[in-house]
Amino acid sequence: MLWYKAWLETRSRFLTSLATLTMFSSIFVHHALYIACMNTLPCSEEIKSSEWRSEFHRLLFINQQYVVIMWILAVVLLAMGGLVREKALGTSSLTLTLPVSRARLMRVRVAMGVFQAIALGVVPWVSVFVISSRARMPISITQVGSYVLLLIGGGLVYFAMAILISSLITGEYTAPALTFGVVLLAAMLFDNWLRRFNVWRLVTGDFSIDRNTFLLSKHLPWPGILASLSAAALMLLASVMAVQRREF
Amino acid sequence: MTNELAILTHGLTKSYGHDEVVRGLDLSIGRNRITAFLGRNGAGKSTTIKMLLGLIRPTAGSGTVLGKQISDAKQNREMRKRVAYVAEDKPLYSYMTVEQTINFARSFYSDWRIDVEKRLLLDSELPANRKVKSLSKGMRTKLALLLAFARRPDLFILDEPSEGLDPVGIEYLLRTLVSSSADGVSIFFSSHQIAEVERVADHICILEKGCLLMDASVDQVRHSYRRIDMVFPTPPSERDFRIPGVESVKTAGHQMSVFASRNAEEVVERAHSLSAVSVEVAPVGLRDVFLETVREN
Repeated sequence: MLWYKAWLETRSRFLTSLATLTMFSSIFVHHALYIACMNTLPCSEEIKSSEWRSEFHRLLFINQQYVVIMWILAVVLLAMGGLVREKALGTSSLTLTLPVSRARLMRVRVAMGVFQAIALGVVPWVSVFVISSRARMPISITQVGSYVLLLIGGGLVYFAMAILISSLITGEYTAPALTFGVVLLAAMLFDNWLRRFNVWRLVTGDFSIDRNTFLLSKHLPWPGILASLSAAALMLLASVMAVQRREF
Repeated sequence: MTNELAILTHGLTKSYGHDEVVRGLDLSIGRNRITAFLGRNGAGKSTTIKMLLGLIRPTAGSGTVLGKQISDAKQNREMRKRVAYVAEDKPLYSYMTVEQTINFARSFYSDWRIDVEKRLLLDSELPANRKVKSLSKGMRTKLALLLAFARRPDLFILDEPSEGLDPVGIEYLLRTLVSSSADGVSIFFSSHQIAEVERVADHICILEKGCLLMDASVDQVRHSYRRIDMVFPTPPSERDFRIPGVESVKTAGHQMSVFASRNAEEVVERAHSLSAVSVEVAPVGLRDVFLETVREN
């Protein structure tokens, strides 16, 4: 039933985010196809040309940039709540007097968030794939899979950061606002001084894209993804420890 | 001995910086009785309860609830399976409906009684499909109490359980407390409603500024506490009545009033020996005992 509670707590945020991301991606790709067909006739001939293929792949790359922004917004909002927030609302005394450990409460919350974050990465890209395939656009499942992998594998660190901050800071809006601040600051600082380690560029596919074909490389930046996942795991561990030590 | 106690603490202390909220509290709450935990606002009652339930850690001291160490996370979790707790502000998840809240709570406890749940739901007229956030304060209190009373725990810990209830609800609550106690459940509850306490409690503990001022049975209080009102032609010194058992002495003109926790007879003898014109001994209610106790400290 802790899963049920975690679902009820986050479902409106999750479903709103999922609908927004999926609709945005679908409309974005569909609109591109519409523009292509309006400008050049016959449409099917245009789609077959190599320029258009490259243009379409660039479009997918741009779609990933927007998806990343919205996905980070969504996962930070999903990470809102938890025991520290419950303390402010007064419900932590109900949750913490249940015969379950704080670690288990955190595990369920994090696991639900991870599943939702995965769904928020997969579903929009699946809809893009379905729409593009039906319109006979040049889209491959490998490219879509790579974008999703980069988004989730690299991006979970943002979710973990949001969980950590929400485990340390009480305010309803303070924690997400601070997380967005840290995300932006980290992106700017890393871009200026440690560009190779910029998670933002890892997640958007900037490190893996071929600038001529706009296709993602077959060799994904696994060290970066693993480093990002490790950092996420450490942050989540720190969150559990913070909640275990905290007084409610 | 420990197993015969529902709650036992030794020197339980909680400080926030230099502010000592609970000071060296030694509590021994027996099983199968109704113990009222009294004190003014900020006396440290809720802090003590939170320490017992593991929500906050004691700065010093130790304690057990149902024989389980409160500071040991695993033992505390085991203890919580056998304790039903209702917090002061009756916290409930606003995003759940009444039915979802009950289903959620039921899933954690093996001592849940579905028949009692159904009866309480019917009696309290709680709308099963309504979201908790749209319930009135009284309804929320009823739901919070239902979550506790639908169980058959070894111990109820209730923080201001009657707050927000109408007189009918309060009556129902008090009867439930008495019948639960008769069924062998220990009850430890805090309240500001002395009249309610007087009706149901077997034992009272009074806390003031984090210190335990009184730990006595209600019968003991009723039998031993007395107010002695005296009239003198010329009032003697208050020091003449400062004998063991006298909690306070007040002089107003020719009248003197002594509040005694014991030794009332000796006060009367002394009054007569000091040429009192009139001496009246009256039993005192719990309310007066509480007020005098916290006032003197």
